[in-house]
Amino acid sequence: MPSPSLLKNAWQAACQVDELPPGERKLVILNGVEIALFNIDGAVFAINNRCPHRKGPLIRGYTDSEGGIKCPMHGWRFDLRTGQSRRPAQATTYRTKIEGSMISLALA
Amino acid sequence: MDSQNIDILIKDEYAFFLRERDNWSLTAGPQDLELVAHALRVLLHARTTPDFLDDYRALVACQNVDGGWSPFSSDTESTVWVSAFCGLMLIRGNRFLRHTQLTQAVRQAIDYFLDTQHQDGRWVDPAWADLDTTSHPVSFFNVVMALGETHRQQEVRHAWQQGMRFIIANQSPDGGWYDEEFHPSGVEITAHLIQDALVADLVIDQEVRGVRTACAKGAARLCDWQAQAGSWDEKNVDHTMDCTRSLMLVTHILQDPHKRETVLRGFSWILDNKNDHGWGDFPGMETNLERTCDGIDTLLKYQAYSNSDTHDVVKLWGYLP
Repeated sequence: MPSPSLLKNAWQAACQVDELPPGERKLVILNGVEIALFNIDGAVFAINNRCPHRKGPLIRGYTDSEGGIKCPMHGWRFDLRTGQSRRPAQATTYRTKIEGSMISLALA
Repeated sequence: MDSQNIDILIKDEYAFFLRERDNWSLTAGPQDLELVAHALRVLLHARTTPDFLDDYRALVACQNVDGGWSPFSSDTESTVWVSAFCGLMLIRGNRFLRHTQLTQAVRQAIDYFLDTQHQDGRWVDPAWADLDTTSHPVSFFNVVMALGETHRQQEVRHAWQQGMRFIIANQSPDGGWYDEEFHPSGVEITAHLIQDALVADLVIDQEVRGVRTACAKGAARLCDWQAQAGSWDEKNVDHTMDCTRSLMLVTHILQDPHKRETVLRGFSWILDNKNDHGWGDFPGMETNLERTCDGIDTLLKYQAYSNSDTHDVVKLWGYLP
């Protein structure tokens, strides 16, 4: 059986492509971590669902045309690609890939 | 829900809150101080503060040398928002505890806010919008003045006036306050500014010009923003609790009974969207302690608000002794 650290580094299936059409978002839980998925014009982004500020749910946040997500609780904005923010903490993002009909995430 | 059932609900939620004590009490170890302040407010409004002196002493123990507090109790760099919340709970709690160590800590907190105000009247915290941040030291100074604390009295009054004017000067013509980055919808920030900062002036000494009008316009804007079902900001539990409590206080002070229906709709929505124990940030989300403290506070304030013959609801903001 692989060690937990190996599992953590592996690509993991998150959902079917047709579950996340352009303009939509979806919450998945992988390894006990809530991850918010966004399909923005065909590009899929994955970010830890809990805002590092007060744990607000980013899945309910507001996306913008520059690839950002703003927390619905207190407005912290994060770059969906990098998790970077002008605020005192940044969010965790995850690499994504589409293979066949499946969207997968790299949790490392 | 009638008053008797609200009483039962408060007892039930308070019992849950106490069972979770290790997750909010500084006596159990380092904590998120914003959560601690939320918890101390529950104790204050449930009138159980005297049973929790050790929690207050622990809050004093993690005060930084500059008189402020850090977001997390074991950190050492002060930030304005959480410092104001902690200072406010200390001065209000000390009304009942009468402890010299707490009195000294409150005076150090006053020093901190006098030292950190910017020239134009604002206070700044990188985690929050400037307007929202400013409302919190102003709120602390509201209570400092209401309770007759004399430490650096003239400087406090001057700083408080500057903060109030900064807030009034930044009100939008439509009655709301906005921050493009933090609060584009304006809902939460408007609710905060009228209840935590401005309206106290109408109770304390009616000194700052334009407060009554600013509060009335802000309250009207909040009413306009309410969804038909009673929530604010797309079913945001936190913001709905903020708006409901804000309107309870502000419309009571403005003697505006016409907004009672808005308050009742908000309150009903909050009751309809609670979990078995506590509340989450949005309907269907898991309970978190901060929101649960807000929920208990809302229940307690609603009880006081329902008794419209008294000023009990104003006392729950500390603007009257």
